[in-house]
Amino acid sequence: MTSQVLSRRAAIAILSLALGCGVGGPRPAWEVPPPAPVENTIVRMDDLHRVTLANGAKLILLEDHRLPRLALGLTLRRGVGSVDPKVAGVAELATEVMQRGAGERDALMLAKVVEDAGASLSVSSGWDTTTISLSGLSEDRELLLEILADVALRPRFDESEFEKALAEQQASLVAAQDDPATLIRWHTLRTLFEGHRYGLPNSGTSETLARIDVAAARAFWVDRFVPANIIFWAVGDFPAESLIGDVRGLFESLRESPAIAKTPPIAERTPESRRIVVIDKPELLQARIILAHEGIARTEETRLAVDLMNNALGGSGFSSRLMKKIRSDEGLTYGIGSRFSLRSQPGPFSISTFTRVAKVRRVIDLILEEVEAIGSDRPVSEEELGKFISYNVGRFGLSLETSDAVMASLVDLDVHDLPEDSLERYRDRIRAVSLEDVTEAAKIRLHPDRAAILVLGPAELLVPELEGLGPVEVRKP
Amino acid sequence: MKVRTRSNQFSNVIPSLVAAACLVLPANMTAAAGGEAEGRVRDPVEDLSETTLDNGLRVVLLEDHRTPVVAFQIWVDAGSSDETFYTGIAHLFEHMMFKGSKNIEEEVHAQLINERGGRINAYTNRDVTVYHEDVTAESLPLVIDLEAERFANLDISASMLESEREVVLEERRLRTEDSPAGRGFEALAALVWQAHPYRWPVIGWRSDVEKVTVAACRAFFDTYYASNNLTVVIVGDFESESTLAHIRRTFGRLSPAKQIPRSPTTVVPQRGERRADVLFDVQIPLLYAGWHTPATGHADGEALDLASQILSGGRSSRLYRSLVYEEEKALYAYGGYMEFADAGMFYGIAGARPGTSLEEVEALFMAEIDRVAADGVSAEELARAKRQMEVGLVSGLSTNHALASRIGREVLSFGRVRPLDERISAIRAVSADDVQRVVRTYLQSDSRSVIHVIAPEADGEAGEEGTR
Repeated sequence: MTSQVLSRRAAIAILSLALGCGVGGPRPAWEVPPPAPVENTIVRMDDLHRVTLANGAKLILLEDHRLPRLALGLTLRRGVGSVDPKVAGVAELATEVMQRGAGERDALMLAKVVEDAGASLSVSSGWDTTTISLSGLSEDRELLLEILADVALRPRFDESEFEKALAEQQASLVAAQDDPATLIRWHTLRTLFEGHRYGLPNSGTSETLARIDVAAARAFWVDRFVPANIIFWAVGDFPAESLIGDVRGLFESLRESPAIAKTPPIAERTPESRRIVVIDKPELLQARIILAHEGIARTEETRLAVDLMNNALGGSGFSSRLMKKIRSDEGLTYGIGSRFSLRSQPGPFSISTFTRVAKVRRVIDLILEEVEAIGSDRPVSEEELGKFISYNVGRFGLSLETSDAVMASLVDLDVHDLPEDSLERYRDRIRAVSLEDVTEAAKIRLHPDRAAILVLGPAELLVPELEGLGPVEVRKP
Repeated sequence: MKVRTRSNQFSNVIPSLVAAACLVLPANMTAAAGGEAEGRVRDPVEDLSETTLDNGLRVVLLEDHRTPVVAFQIWVDAGSSDETFYTGIAHLFEHMMFKGSKNIEEEVHAQLINERGGRINAYTNRDVTVYHEDVTAESLPLVIDLEAERFANLDISASMLESEREVVLEERRLRTEDSPAGRGFEALAALVWQAHPYRWPVIGWRSDVEKVTVAACRAFFDTYYASNNLTVVIVGDFESESTLAHIRRTFGRLSPAKQIPRSPTTVVPQRGERRADVLFDVQIPLLYAGWHTPATGHADGEALDLASQILSGGRSSRLYRSLVYEEEKALYAYGGYMEFADAGMFYGIAGARPGTSLEEVEALFMAEIDRVAADGVSAEELARAKRQMEVGLVSGLSTNHALASRIGREVLSFGRVRPLDERISAIRAVSADDVQRVVRTYLQSDSRSVIHVIAPEADGEAGEEGTR
């Protein structure tokens, strides 16, 4: 480790000198070829510990003693996607109620014991995972572990707490009507995935919440908290052997039982044909726009090629074609981006932006033009590919600056059954993507001809603007 | 009058801005690696060095070779409170800085950083404008050259201004005009700071952004982007000597300003409660409240922070417990102490649940403030709040970006970086009586300003503001 650091430091010093002392005066760094990126070891194997308990539960621990803090938790390999759409919102309710009492402690006592230590506790559910997470100072390790055990093994699910959480969640659904970004996102999900759990907000709807009782909330956790689903993780300043022993004591006695089904498949094509949807919000000065269709799964083999293609289109900020055209050249928006939402089943591919109401049609036309072009007459060029490979290699290093971020990536790989060494191999794998792969990704994965186009704003002004794009469906928020 | 620290209070080269510093946390803290004594967490800023170039540019460097990442920030000692004619010019100017310069075409600066995987952005507040880049180590020379280029040779042309003006107006629609929360806070600041330049929004009033001229932009740049109004902060994996030489060679060419004007206006003491409504088509009405508090660096700062924590820090805090959990009248309720160079504000924010009147929510909110003023806080609450703040300080050491931000903020505010143990000592010195005293002193009903963001009557006009 020391020699690696020294050689890296030496390389940087040499680079600085080369830039500063060239014959004939220094040339600005943008005129010289970029130096090779510094590539450190992502995961120091001496610090990483992986254990599988007899019942199938997995443990991943990453030691980092630079600061006296640690984070630990449990991630289950099932989340919102595994919920019946009829009871959408049960995951969010269950995870909220789990923070309102566990073991001998009621809601207030639990909050106090966490906050007395200056620690934090969260329980949350994503599309593919449900996670209990605690962080605090390393001297409070035993306390954090005790709280984790209480929340995971002995959640109280008090009826009164459930009723409070339900009322709060219903009120939040009303409050969301005031947030244009949330509203249009919900309508996009409904347009693409109606009938599937992906088609509803994480927090459910007033109709689905009305079907949920405290027993359903408890069942959400109990059904998923089975050894085969469990990943215990810890990152920070702790003695690994001792912690592994403690965790064995807590979770090794859990009996094996069948895991609940994963997220069911979605339609291969969604929408089948172009849909234009206007969500009427008469008071807005600025319209929100989303163009969307089905994307790819987290485990899709060509995902790196898709990433690179998406970087060129709209997934790389100021380096992307959409940002250049619509913000920099025409000043039509403050921001625009495209993304593939990676989940166990393909989530949406979406392009999102906003503009003044009078310019909505212009922005949509420009988006469609760019999406069509990247899949046909203006494919990603060799030069662009080189830039975006460099972008991803650099961003990869930055995004894993902290051990917490490394741990989040390791858990994500495990959730999706991806190879353990994916982080170490990432930079080589992305450099191996060819121009043909990227060109193919644009052709196969982008569908401007049948994409759903959603616009949120004053319908009276928007509908005439959208003439010629297809039949317009106007919805109330 | 605005008083700011100036670079001339430093000697030309100061190896370390802070005295030997350590953070000692309670109980049996295991020491950090690297041979530190037990119970002692090393504050990285012990090692920083500070230099002032001949042109007045301040450079603060902190080597940290734990990861091959570097955070670079330039702090411009100019924010929206330095605007004298067109509001919003400081923020608009921040946008213009990405529009190209003599040797770099429009947006290419950001693209070059992006293409190496770096993160680049900027922000403006009432006091400062900060340009920041996080890159892997080998890209630091590129960052220095690009930053020096735009500070030396910015292209301030009419076409660039027109394009970016529209972008800023979109940002204003996004963050303020179509946002109930944005409208609420904008109205609150205007009500609290009636006289002081803090009263106008950082993004500026729409009419000013629509009309600002190229000449005004150039004048702002020449005045406030002078070398003696800038501080460069670099934290991470680099060599100080060669990096400082590089900065001398590039930034050393910038010119200082003879004089940097500051607004003479002070905050006018408030005599009586102020109220206003903002009519907006909201599903849930919003409460915004503000009280005058001292400027950054005041001795009451820690007590005000602890009062914030006791009122709003987590599920055991008073506002959450009363308004959200027990009474179930609000969806959220919190308050906090915002500190700026000339003045501070203690703000309160709450969102009413459907079917609950804002008057009810406000009464509950103010009752919690009044309860602290009348009865004080418990030893248990105070200890919890202190612990939360101390842990937060440790967590703030996790990334180079966070460290650079701390350094920049502190150097501009105080002319030095306060060691963590000094901060911890100040927090620990606060008593329950201190918390009660600051709440009694500053959070009085006749010196508060209150905004209600509420839906208009059925035949009303959305988006208008009126005073009650």
